[in-house]
Amino acid sequence: MLQLRNLTKTFFPNTPNEVRALQGVTLDIEEGSFVIVIGTNGSGKSTLLNAAAGTFPLDAGTITLAGRDVTKWPEHRRAAMIGRVFQNPFSGTAPNMTVAENLALAARRGQPRGLGSLLPAKLHSELRDRVATLNMQLETRMNNPIGTLSGGQRQALTLLMATWRRPDLLLLDEHTAALDPKSADQIVRLTQRIVSQHHLTTLMVTHSMQQAATLGTRIVMMNQGRVMADIAGPDRRRIRAEDLVHRFEEIRRDEQLDVSAAEMLREMYV
Amino acid sequence: MTLLISAWTIGLILSLLALGVYISYRVFAFPDITADGSITFGAAVAAAMLTRGMNPFAASGAAFLAGTLAGACTGVLHTRFRINQLLSGILVMTALYSINLHVMGQSNLPLLSARTLTTYAERIGRRLSGGDTAVLLGWPVSARELGSLLLIAAVVLLVAIAAYLFFRTNLGSAMRASGDNAQMIRALGVSVENMIILGLAISNGLIAFAGALLAQYQGFADVQMGIGMVVWGLASVIIGRALVGSDSLGSALTGTIMGSVLFRLIIAVALRWGLNPNDLKLVTAIFVFGALVLPMALGVRTSRPRPSGRPRPDGLIAR
Ligand SMILES: Nc1ncnc2c1ncn2[C@@H]1O[C@H](COP(=O)(O)OP(=O)(O)O)[C@@H](O)[C@H]1O
Ligand SMILES: [Mg+2]
Repeated sequence: MLQLRNLTKTFFPNTPNEVRALQGVTLDIEEGSFVIVIGTNGSGKSTLLNAAAGTFPLDAGTITLAGRDVTKWPEHRRAAMIGRVFQNPFSGTAPNMTVAENLALAARRGQPRGLGSLLPAKLHSELRDRVATLNMQLETRMNNPIGTLSGGQRQALTLLMATWRRPDLLLLDEHTAALDPKSADQIVRLTQRIVSQHHLTTLMVTHSMQQAATLGTRIVMMNQGRVMADIAGPDRRRIRAEDLVHRFEEIRRDEQLDVSAAEMLREMYV
Repeated sequence: MTLLISAWTIGLILSLLALGVYISYRVFAFPDITADGSITFGAAVAAAMLTRGMNPFAASGAAFLAGTLAGACTGVLHTRFRINQLLSGILVMTALYSINLHVMGQSNLPLLSARTLTTYAERIGRRLSGGDTAVLLGWPVSARELGSLLLIAAVVLLVAIAAYLFFRTNLGSAMRASGDNAQMIRALGVSVENMIILGLAISNGLIAFAGALLAQYQGFADVQMGIGMVVWGLASVIIGRALVGSDSLGSALTGTIMGSVLFRLIIAVALRWGLNPNDLKLVTAIFVFGALVLPMALGVRTSRPRPSGRPRPDGLIAR
């Protein structure tokens, strides 16, 4: 479904601030697989997702999505095939527009937009019914500006928006990281439900080893712009959160960082 | 009384300018100075056509189209060539100064002998009053003034309704979303760049249309008439927001029109009380400065708090 070949991206090349964010990443992601991407801060996880979404031009490499070479496509064109949820709940919604308007905008993701009404009555009631399935009582707030909702509520709606039209690829970038534990839990369960219901090909970045160990069908571990480990099949089924933390510690040791960093990691991730 | 009627008429004409500024400044948070050039551009195009005896409706429509062209240029400079917003506007505005002189052939083009929309307005006024003067609330008003006021009121009403309907279509909503959260609407498949170009085109189309109407009402087009107009539009938008105290689409459009008329009335009264006309731009600029800064200085908001969200720079003041 998604083929990433030798993706390379350097920010600020040939300057003191040079960052080699992707150093030849190659991944083959089959239709319907749910891939969890983990890695330390700055290892290139977001850059990988942004590359797939087309946020910036690549230095090298090719991206094929659903059989089409989309490497040269601008972001808004790829959006016809891709649904996204960002880490920041503010990023995925237009705060001054209503809940219904936001959803209606997403209902036409990748479609031509002309002079038809944004919110015909039929669509409005369809949207309300789907929002009601979230069990968050948001169906009574369809005409409120979406910016008046909490982060968790906005992420739930963004998830609904990203998947309203079935995307060929769903990109989730730490979409629970900014939420309180209870809301994060709620969003994780919603993610699971939507992804399995529609058999979505999904790339999900998380910094929670717990989520990495319990969700998905495959784990990709990144470090310094490279894929360090790619765990699928039986290995994936056996893996526990502690094993993943252990792998991180190994990487750290290889980089000859001191133990305190590993300790810090354990505190942060478990 | 004629003074007040005239202030109403000009206020309504300039409310089209204010609606244009609303689109660039409020919808896109794009401080678009092209307005100073495009209002004159509209006046120049219309005046040049009218003095050649062309149909006033065609001339006014052509002015609108000319404005869309100017706005699209600013949009292209900003989105395709990555030139700063203010600078893009300044470049187009400056270029328009020469273009306007070429279009008019001279720096001031009188329309007194041409058939204009005012000619039609006067005809309407005569039919209603049955003579040269009508009586409005006990005051005598010339048929020409009465007709002009009615005609422009009808035009503004139509434009406001059209704008309201447009911003509720798929396209218009995508445009609002582009200004509200570019990252989001891009991820939903919309080219924010194209939206900015189209939005600035519509904005400047309205502004140029206002210029065409103003020229026909005043009876002349002048190459200097656009100076400071964007600040005038800003003042109207700001007053309008304070008047209605709401960001909803309908209120915002209504407020902007009311703001323009109210501001013009205030100015007319101030002039009557002895404000030196030379100080007009200075007063307007100080007013806008105050409106931008006071709410911050006092730590209060002029309207209900913006829903929490990615803070949108409130126009010209970076937060
Ligand atoms: N748009 C950008 N401009 C410059 N540097 C960037 C940009 N995006 C990411 N980087 C840099 O690339 C590296 C990888 O970042 P990122 O992919 O965000 O890491 P993470 O794995 O934490 O998501 C970091 O050093 C980051 O500073
Ligand atoms: Mg990241």
